[in-house]
Amino acid sequence: MARSISLRLAAVYTAAFALAVATLGATILAATRSALSDQFESRIGAESAALVQEYRTEGLDGVLQAVRERDRTPGSLDYGLTGPAGPLAGRLAGERTATGWSAVQVRRRGGRSETVRLLTVDLPDGYRLLIGDDLGRIQALDGVVLRGFALALLGVVVLGAAGGYGLSRDLRRRFAAISGVAEAIIDGDMGRRVPVRGAGDDLDHLALTFNRMLDRIAALMVSLRQVSNDIAHDLRTPLTRLRQRLEAGLQAGDEDQRRQAMERALDDLDAILETFAGLLRIAEVEGGARRVGFRPLDLAAAARSVVDSFAPSAEEGRRALTFHGSGPAVIEGDAGLLTQMLVNLVENGLRHTPPGSAVRVGVERQDGCVTLVVTDDGPGVPPDERTRLFDRFYRLERSRSTPGSGLGLSLAAAVARAHGAEIVLGDAGPGLEARIDFAAGP
Amino acid sequence: MKLLLVEDDLEGGAYLKRALTEAGHAVDHSPSGREGLRLAVTESYDVLVLDRMLPHVDGLTILRTLRASGVEIPVLMLTALGSIDQRVEGLEEGADDYLVKPFAFVELLARVNALARRPPARDAPVVLQVGDLRMDLLKRAVTRGGARIELQSREFQLLEYLMRHAGRVVTRTMLLEAVWEFHFEPRTNIVETHVSRLRSKVDRGHGVELIHTVRGAGYCLRGPE
Repeated sequence: MARSISLRLAAVYTAAFALAVATLGATILAATRSALSDQFESRIGAESAALVQEYRTEGLDGVLQAVRERDRTPGSLDYGLTGPAGPLAGRLAGERTATGWSAVQVRRRGGRSETVRLLTVDLPDGYRLLIGDDLGRIQALDGVVLRGFALALLGVVVLGAAGGYGLSRDLRRRFAAISGVAEAIIDGDMGRRVPVRGAGDDLDHLALTFNRMLDRIAALMVSLRQVSNDIAHDLRTPLTRLRQRLEAGLQAGDEDQRRQAMERALDDLDAILETFAGLLRIAEVEGGARRVGFRPLDLAAAARSVVDSFAPSAEEGRRALTFHGSGPAVIEGDAGLLTQMLVNLVENGLRHTPPGSAVRVGVERQDGCVTLVVTDDGPGVPPDERTRLFDRFYRLERSRSTPGSGLGLSLAAAVARAHGAEIVLGDAGPGLEARIDFAAGP
Repeated sequence: MKLLLVEDDLEGGAYLKRALTEAGHAVDHSPSGREGLRLAVTESYDVLVLDRMLPHVDGLTILRTLRASGVEIPVLMLTALGSIDQRVEGLEEGADDYLVKPFAFVELLARVNALARRPPARDAPVVLQVGDLRMDLLKRAVTRGGARIELQSREFQLLEYLMRHAGRVVTRTMLLEAVWEFHFEPRTNIVETHVSRLRSKVDRGHGVELIHTVRGAGYCLRGPE
């Protein structure tokens, strides 16, 4: 419990509020006391001024009468008049105090004693006037203020403790839910998600982010599993064939047959290694580590160069490969990767069309956009199969007989994605169109 | 030629040593990077074949150390499959060529031979001559027996590479890397197609063939003995 953040926070806040209440109480008490004391002194000062005035106009008898009269009035101040010979009138007459403010203990009826604060004023001819009042009222008010604030302090502490406990329990429950989900996932239940309360508060945001992260990880794991399955499945066939060839070589009677078997086995092995290289390359491109090597380059020139390199081979296969462009088209990218993407797209066009077909590569720059289009006039691909062409190892039924790893378009798509673009497959009517829109470079 | 092979895989290293020796080279094989570095500095070799991944002192460190101390021995770097950046890194640190594992032995042999007799870059020739075939690099003109041969730019590059490596086997992959700058294997036989076109321009009508196909390895441009 001592380690609960919420509880610790609640304790700190309660202490801070209690301190604030106490400070407020002390300040109000001091202010009240000062105000009451000022009021007290000015009241007594005014009274003494009135009686001194009485003495001046009416003489000693006037004052004597006034003091006696007031002394009899219940609830009045305390008075005393002393002459050179001794006390003359009033409850305070017997007190021997110096001129000015002082405090004395006075015995009241019923025997209780009270502190009276009084002002002693000298009158002519050795007479002295004393006027005072007990401090009971100020002290009573002190008590009221103190009691009030003590109660408030108690309230703050009780509410703080209760609130802290409640808050802490609520937060602990929600944190426990999150760590419970994490524990479940550690144990292998990838489907669990953190409950979202719907209040839109910080913890809900945390839960949503956490869930999004889990979705992403789950998707990656699915794709990883898919890739592993694909690899296992697609390598089993060539590996089996390789094994058969080696066995045949071992059993072969004459040297020539053995040699032939070995050479074929090497070819098979090279094909397998090529598939591996393709997979690793896709992984590397998808990892995005190469983006640092991006430079401005002319995609039109790169495409023209690829077309020039492949046109003679295309011609031998009785296919026409042509380039169409109207000038430089600069984008930011990796020349090596883009060349490989172009090669894969061109080869895809050349390999999946019958002799006599035409493959066109076009690069156009328009409105901050560089568009690469590779089209063929072959049989095309049904719309529902087009996106699957990018899956690793996916091959159309009719292409199964032609050699190929089924990785060419996956790699091309990965390269396009690494450049912030996407390959869109469409109908060239007839044939297949692959279109990629790149952001134009500087 | 005297070669130093630094390769920590004992079995693979022994195989390469045997095969290179059979091909007529004197080979020292060092399985450790530290020992390899010491040999490269103290002994004199024509070519260093350096594995990139070595325990303790790796190939890149050896290469960097050698280049920093002014050792200019040609270096062929062996790198792992499927890493584009390692190739770039190796070349930046001063490797002269690289080869991705696993490789065919003929590929290694061809590259070792190509590195060994590489002429110094400073006194680059202006004219290449093999037999009666002549290439003027400044005028970008090719003649055979005085008759002019018209070549497309890619064919010119291809012939130039073959002529610079005259008498030595040049593999398909070497041509793809040098002429096309492809660091991957296309499925289409573009090298074969271009070589056959080049051959028809260079050799057709002449009694003596200069461009030879080396079965299972590559091509070789060779003048009459």
